[in-house]
Amino acid sequence: MEGRCAVETWAQFGFSGRSYKVKILCGFGTDVLICTGTEEIYVFSKRERKITTVLLLPAAVSDLVGNQDKQLIYVACRSGVYRVNLQFLLHRDQSSQADASSSPAELKISQECLVVGADEVSSLLLVGSVLLTLCQRDASWLLTLYKTPKQTASTSHEEFGSFHLPVVSAVDCGAAESNRGPRKGSVLICIHSGDVEASSPSNASAESTVAQDHFHLEPLLFKLLFGVEAALAKSPVILCGLPDGRLCFLPLRLPGSRLRVLHSLEQPVCFVGASVVTETGHAQCLVAAGEQGRVVLIKTDKAGSEGGSAMAAFTEGCVPGPVWCGCMDKSCFYYSTGADLLRLDLSEGSFARESKERGEETSGMTAAALQSPSSLNVCRVIALAEPACSTAGDVQLLGVSARGQLQRICLPAGRVDEGSSKLPSTQVSRSVRDLLSAIGDVCERASVLKTVIKSKNQFLRLLNHAVSVSFLLMADTTTDLPIKEKPIRCHFETSWSRLLQKDSLSLVCFLHNSSPFVLERGWTLSITVSPLSYSSSPAGESSSTNFSFPFHDLRPGQTFEASLPIAAAGDASFPMTVSCSLIFSLSSLLGEEEVAASFAGLQSSCISLPLSTLTVDWLHALQLNSPTAAHKMATVQPSSAAADSIQTFLSSRQLRCSGRTNKGGESAAKPESEKYSASVWVSSEIVRDTLKPKKSSNLDAKESIRDPEDLCLSLLERLLSEDTEGVKMGCQGDKIALSTSVAHARGPNGAAMKLTVKEINVGEEESTDKEATIEVQIESSSLAAVCGLHHAVLRRIQTLLQSATEKAASTKNVQILGLRRALQRAEIQQSQISGAFGEVVSTVQRDRLLLSVYQELRRNPLLIV
Amino acid sequence: MYQPPSLLEKWSQENNELVNKCKQQEAGGGAVSRDHRQSSLRWCSSEFHKLLRKIQGIPPHVDHSQLELAVVYNTCVCFTAQSQFSEAELLLKEATERVLQVTGNNADTSDPLVLWRAGLKSAGNTALHPHVLYLLCLQWALWLAKCQLENIGELQEQMSSLCEIVCDGVGDCSPSEAKGRLSKSPLLVMEPKRLTELLQICTSIAQGAEKLNEGRSSEALSDLQAASALPATRALVAYTHLLSGSCLAHMNRPQMALQCYKRALETDSRCVCALYRSMLIYRQLGNTQAEIQALRLLHSTLMLPPATEPVLGGIQPLSPSLLLSSQSLSRLLSVPSALSVLYSLALKCVLSGRVTEGVEHYLDLLAALHSEDQHAVDAEVSVLPRMLELYLEAGTALLFTRRPADCMAFCNEVISTTLELVPEKVVLEEPEEGIGGDARGLSVEGEDKVAMLLWAAAAYLLQGHCHTHLKDWKQAVTHYTRCINLLVKVHLKNRDFQPQIPAADVNVKHGKDLCTLQRMKGLSLAWRGISFTQMDQLREALRDLQLSLQAFPDYTGAGLWCGEVLWRLGRKHEAAACWEKTWSLTTQTSVEKLPLYLQDPQSGPLLDSVELRLRIQELGLT
Repeated sequence: MEGRCAVETWAQFGFSGRSYKVKILCGFGTDVLICTGTEEIYVFSKRERKITTVLLLPAAVSDLVGNQDKQLIYVACRSGVYRVNLQFLLHRDQSSQADASSSPAELKISQECLVVGADEVSSLLLVGSVLLTLCQRDASWLLTLYKTPKQTASTSHEEFGSFHLPVVSAVDCGAAESNRGPRKGSVLICIHSGDVEASSPSNASAESTVAQDHFHLEPLLFKLLFGVEAALAKSPVILCGLPDGRLCFLPLRLPGSRLRVLHSLEQPVCFVGASVVTETGHAQCLVAAGEQGRVVLIKTDKAGSEGGSAMAAFTEGCVPGPVWCGCMDKSCFYYSTGADLLRLDLSEGSFARESKERGEETSGMTAAALQSPSSLNVCRVIALAEPACSTAGDVQLLGVSARGQLQRICLPAGRVDEGSSKLPSTQVSRSVRDLLSAIGDVCERASVLKTVIKSKNQFLRLLNHAVSVSFLLMADTTTDLPIKEKPIRCHFETSWSRLLQKDSLSLVCFLHNSSPFVLERGWTLSITVSPLSYSSSPAGESSSTNFSFPFHDLRPGQTFEASLPIAAAGDASFPMTVSCSLIFSLSSLLGEEEVAASFAGLQSSCISLPLSTLTVDWLHALQLNSPTAAHKMATVQPSSAAADSIQTFLSSRQLRCSGRTNKGGESAAKPESEKYSASVWVSSEIVRDTLKPKKSSNLDAKESIRDPEDLCLSLLERLLSEDTEGVKMGCQGDKIALSTSVAHARGPNGAAMKLTVKEINVGEEESTDKEATIEVQIESSSLAAVCGLHHAVLRRIQTLLQSATEKAASTKNVQILGLRRALQRAEIQQSQISGAFGEVVSTVQRDRLLLSVYQELRRNPLLIV
Repeated sequence: MYQPPSLLEKWSQENNELVNKCKQQEAGGGAVSRDHRQSSLRWCSSEFHKLLRKIQGIPPHVDHSQLELAVVYNTCVCFTAQSQFSEAELLLKEATERVLQVTGNNADTSDPLVLWRAGLKSAGNTALHPHVLYLLCLQWALWLAKCQLENIGELQEQMSSLCEIVCDGVGDCSPSEAKGRLSKSPLLVMEPKRLTELLQICTSIAQGAEKLNEGRSSEALSDLQAASALPATRALVAYTHLLSGSCLAHMNRPQMALQCYKRALETDSRCVCALYRSMLIYRQLGNTQAEIQALRLLHSTLMLPPATEPVLGGIQPLSPSLLLSSQSLSRLLSVPSALSVLYSLALKCVLSGRVTEGVEHYLDLLAALHSEDQHAVDAEVSVLPRMLELYLEAGTALLFTRRPADCMAFCNEVISTTLELVPEKVVLEEPEEGIGGDARGLSVEGEDKVAMLLWAAAAYLLQGHCHTHLKDWKQAVTHYTRCINLLVKVHLKNRDFQPQIPAADVNVKHGKDLCTLQRMKGLSLAWRGISFTQMDQLREALRDLQLSLQAFPDYTGAGLWCGEVLWRLGRKHEAAACWEKTWSLTTQTSVEKLPLYLQDPQSGPLLDSVELRLRIQELGLT
């Protein structure tokens, strides 16, 4: 210990003798309060370096505690506990200072300040809002709890509990008294569990009470000493050292707790405190010192006994000399023997622990530390307080000497010790295990999250596609692009095929994806086929059929092909509407099992985007009898032909054509028997005009269509093979070579029919301006076939003309005559119809009548110009 | 022998002044604190005593013995009020002797009974007689306060005649006469009539309590019912009803007892004891709903601010509480603290299925225990369980209400508190032999290391249940494993019998700790097995479940699941046998006695017995 202590005397007060309990109370800003056991309390201002005020109490002061928050001090006297408001006092102090700056102001504390009327209180303690007093009554020590009022104005201090502890060895106590005069010290301190600090609000108030008698103990040691209950209740523990040597404790906030003895020093306790503060601010060592120099250090013994669990280790030892007073800083215990001021470095003990020594050796080391306090060479100190550590490592203490001097003692810098704590191996292994399992958990969770994010991304991408596609399709419907330019378009081909000796018509759907998006899982092509009219079907039942084709991966530029059977020969009702749409379903996107589990309602939820709606009519479903085909049929399939005719017969029965239409024979062979016919007249000019551009684009542009024969041929060709609205008649093997402008064919119901295209001249014979007209005549023995084909032809021509309307505007003249005749005919027909309905005839008759009108209508069409 | 009248007048004036001062202070007594009252009483008694010394300084004389006796009365009242019984008794004895001297009799006995008889006899019909009677009243009060009821019994006739005279005598006097007498006679601190009334009822109550204590219920009942008609404060009348109720309860007539308690409550609404007793009766009758209701009322009543003292004490210096200090009575009147009532309420709610309510109460209780207002007021009877057990029970209740996160927080608290203190190895001995000693690992504070370990293990078990509830099987296994790891640290000593012994037997033979340990082992192993089952680790599951059955054969859950695992492993016949065996076990009724946290968790995967039986049937068919 090189370097000497610097002692600086700050003030001198008239006081001598060493028989009183002297206490220094710090923490009120720059003011220090000193009580010396007389009636006076001195207020010393560190700033002014002098005693500013003297408080005069009615009786000798035995203890002094303060509440910094409220600027209150409680003073224990012979006659009771007084409360002094320092703020008020210092205020007055300042005002009075102006006149008398040299001599300290004297303040009498009157009886009004008496808050607790208990006699002979030896110690005081403030814990939050609780004031504790310790006094000796007859044969027991009495620890009494008072509730301090929230408002400083009110004076009522309600007593709400007291604890007794019988006095033992009163003789010893008396002996000590006789030795040392009236001094009968007891120590009251409050211990908090370290981990309570931040959390509990009660601590805030506890913190603000002067910290001199409040310590935060390491949680483990706290639990070992005072029990888990107190730790769990976050209760502060009152520790009192009695003159008979006992150290007692009381958990303050635990129901049913008692004052219990923790240890006995067997000599009057004069100091209790906690030290060896770790970085977290928790003291690791509880120290109690007796007057004759017996010191007990209470620490956690982690390696402990054979059980392996932590224990509290009590290390007793003796330090030289009577202990007058003591104080603690973060690692040292300072005490004065009256003749010298000594320092005990307690952290040395913990150093010894680090060196893996065990059991008795450790305690031996601590005891050894107790044996060798270092002298600081300051004598006659009877009170110590406020150790302060400067940044340089100097320690400053406040002391009161036996001669009544307030001194500041500066100690030379001590060594800076390094306290790295180590955990026992069991704890380490446990924590490693915990960490490993935690890592495993985190890894598992991370991988789960990764897959979830991946699937979410996938989902979002799909949704994005879906939304893009639907926007694309919606844009189509609004801008009305021609079908060829649509990014996703579909067209159909019809084809007859023979399977199991049965002709059937199938529709092949081609979906071309020219959009930049892939149609993938979740997209479905849905095709609905339904008859255009329900007239022929038996009542009620809707005969629409639904086909759906899920896509797997239709990349841009690819074409999807699906073939769907429409009808076997004979049992389909044409024309039929084919509407196709793209369907995107959310459920397929989510994955079935999840959907089934959680979103039962979601299964039906999907986005449906209509692609196109088109009509498959008779022309599409015709089976042309090319010369070769006719041969084949005639030779190879007599039985099927017979079956066909039966079919025809039946269907015609169903159609309620009169019984005589067919007689079950080959209708194709006997065209004369009963023929229905219908015709359409188109101005050949228009036909020429409309066919021309197509020709030029389609086949060979050089071919002239001036020739009316050619014109007829090409019109027929056009009618039969043209791709209207995306439906095309599939090539039936060979390219139809139409040599003549007459085509024989079989309809889907098996009826034979003839389609003739020829040029005629329509108009009045006498009229000069004969219009060159092309007549399309349909003849068949089946009424249904005639109707259907007529409808189909009209549609074709209609679409033909639609594309050429603006050109055809230059028609020369209107056939007024033809119109007149048509009007006339119409009138006749109307009268016939009304007649048919008006007369009471049988239904058969009426039907026949209507049929004839119908035929009339069909046979004499208006010329389309 | 002539005394100057001025002296007598002076004394009597002094006495009257003192009495008036005393009464003034009493009247203002409500406002001042108890301390203050005590000090004023002290002052009064010392003043009276001084006066008495002056009066007794001269030999006894008929003329002023009336004054003397009045001052003796006043002094004794003050002494008694301060519980200075021996001083008061001494004064009374001296006074009687002086009366005897005055009347010319000589007392050579020290037996107070004989002395009093003699005193009364000699006073006879003189003017002193009422004053002697007043002193007898005080003697009575002293005996009562010191619980010497037999003395009162001895002087029964004198007492009853005393009552008649004191009560009627004052009443019979015409107002003018009374006034005249009063103006002459010295003032008294406490009116003798009031004192007598108080003494009568307090004696009845004390005697009733004593008889009840001795088992003479019916006798006590009639006395108490008679006493309930006496004029007295509401609180005292309520006591008579209360004690009648206790008698009836003792005589096994719970419904009538309830009626009496009800009347006690009607008489004095602050008679919490009646509520408490009713609650006990409801508990005895098994009326859980009523019991919970009573507990709730009791708690809210106990939470009320304490009644102001003067209501019970009146403005008299002698308070009934001073006179009713017998042990048996205070035992009858004792009521547990508000916290323990709250605890009973919480536990009862949880056990009777009102879990949410129970959780609220538990949380209130913990909040109260943590609040800053809670202080260690030394309650003699604290039936609260240890704090850690409270935490565990609250955690269990939270788990029952499906709040696993909160439950886990509680468990974490318990674990962080205890884990550091758990020893590496602990030996659990048979309680007969192993009490005390290092093996039990008593720490400084006397806390049992075994208990610490069991608490930590229970916390882990609960956490496992929480994870089971959340279907986080992996975590559940981790926590059950931690629980098991702790439990295997306990070594059982002197156990040479087989583990196949039924648990009930173990329960009787060995301490609570052993039972807890075995049950916890069984539970944690079984639930780890169940968790393994959920993770499809059937082999581990089977091992754990079988170990669980070994540790705690009575746990049906383990048996059923063991069968289930066997079934899944394809060992169907074994499974069926296992189920049959489990069903054949008689279900134990000791669940109520177990700590809450050792009960079977109400969540987690369940097996349907009906379905299992169906499976067995199918197995039998094929």
